[in-house]
Amino acid sequence: MKNIVEFKNVTKCFKDFSLENINLQIKQGYVTGFVGANGAGKSTTMKLMMNLLQADTGEVKIFGMDYAGNEKEIKERMGFVYDSNVFYESLNLKDIRRIIAPAYKNWDDKTFYNYIKIFELPLNKAIKTFSKGMQMKASLAMALSHDAEFIMMDEPTAGLDPVFRRELLDILQEIMEDGRRTLFFSTHITSDLERIADYITFIQKGKILFNDSMQNVQDRYALVKGSIDLLNQDTEKLFIKTERSSYGFQALTNDAAEVKILLGDRVVVEEATLEDIMFYAKGAKHQNV
Amino acid sequence: MFNLIKKDLIIQKTQIILFIPLIIFLILFARDISPIFIFLVAGAYISANAYVYDGMVESNILLNSLPYTRKLIVTSRYIGAMVYMVLSMAMAGAVLYLFDYSYDMMDMAIAAGLFFIFAAIAFPLFYILKPAYIGVVMFIGMIALAIGFQPAARFLERNLITITDFITSLSTTMLYLSGAAIAIGLYLISWIISQFIYQRKVF
Repeated sequence: MKNIVEFKNVTKCFKDFSLENINLQIKQGYVTGFVGANGAGKSTTMKLMMNLLQADTGEVKIFGMDYAGNEKEIKERMGFVYDSNVFYESLNLKDIRRIIAPAYKNWDDKTFYNYIKIFELPLNKAIKTFSKGMQMKASLAMALSHDAEFIMMDEPTAGLDPVFRRELLDILQEIMEDGRRTLFFSTHITSDLERIADYITFIQKGKILFNDSMQNVQDRYALVKGSIDLLNQDTEKLFIKTERSSYGFQALTNDAAEVKILLGDRVVVEEATLEDIMFYAKGAKHQNV
Repeated sequence: MFNLIKKDLIIQKTQIILFIPLIIFLILFARDISPIFIFLVAGAYISANAYVYDGMVESNILLNSLPYTRKLIVTSRYIGAMVYMVLSMAMAGAVLYLFDYSYDMMDMAIAAGLFFIFAAIAFPLFYILKPAYIGVVMFIGMIALAIGFQPAARFLERNLITITDFITSLSTTMLYLSGAAIAIGLYLISWIISQFIYQRKVF
């Protein structure tokens, strides 16, 4: 399986925040969800991907190429949807098209107008009058009109109403159907990912905690519930974080199989959602997620 | 690059409609002002507006996400400024001619020179500063100018004769040529500085 994006030991330091030693692969033809709390480094990682920021150390490769000397070629094949509007807000879509279309060799007007129709977007209204959902659709229409192979979306579902969120996820599923496109999108609404993501990348405090297939994540992680007397030094090593109460304990493990062997029927093992993982990983004492 | 230059026209549609009325306004209501000033305002009009739009972080994110290199973005800005200056001055010239406002080519040339100097200083500043701070910088600049004016005037007073002697010793052509060389030279240096700043800019 080919990697569309590859980060090798990428580090980027800011005054009050840093991304450390990021290793990341995005597989071609799949949807990769990028999760993490606010301020965990999602946007910074995406900016590094778009070359809006440059890494202090390490290597960022897109389509197997470095940005140095290949910037145009890489961006020709990339589409972007940001969490805030980046289009000139006093312009209407017709004018925005006149600015963006000539930038791409592969731009296809027919596709563009087709998506405008499907997304029910007005051509003659200023972007500033658009709702968040409409702005998002406009960005997506632009990305699809130049036949981007890799589409990067920063928080596309944040601030959308539930109906439109479902609609968007359907659209995304549809554009993924032919298997030529790769989608990477960040969100903290983890239920969206459970619906469409094939791979999950989890970032916390500037570090990638895991980068794995959805199936593996669901197999490995589990919520374990049992009585307190089962907890000892050995069993606690199996858990990322343990919460104790008077009724017993509840813990997150990243080795569900081992828990089942060691503790068997004495505990209840439940499927962990991404939200559970995010929540428990946040307060974890040891970061061997 | 043509696309990036054309972009300024698309963004400024409404401002461009105001361009000719502005020139006519200056002609009618400020009859005594030098045509150099009118040409300078005209020449700088589109570029100054363009910077206000592109100074916004969002526009930078957009331009840099499109298949353009940072080098190309800055190059288009500097070449675009020259193209728009020539076109706007020609247009202003035509309007002045229609209104029978007398001027000669030298007025245009001096305005172009002043534009190059103005742009050479302003463009890199636009890349360093956020748009909100530009007003503050201009204000500080004016205060500095006001404070610096007196010592500068005194210095000129003392050395005026030497300076005027030196200038009068040059031929007119020589004087204009060196003026043009300085203005264009400054513009080129500014171009290199802007490239350097923009390559390192963080969005």
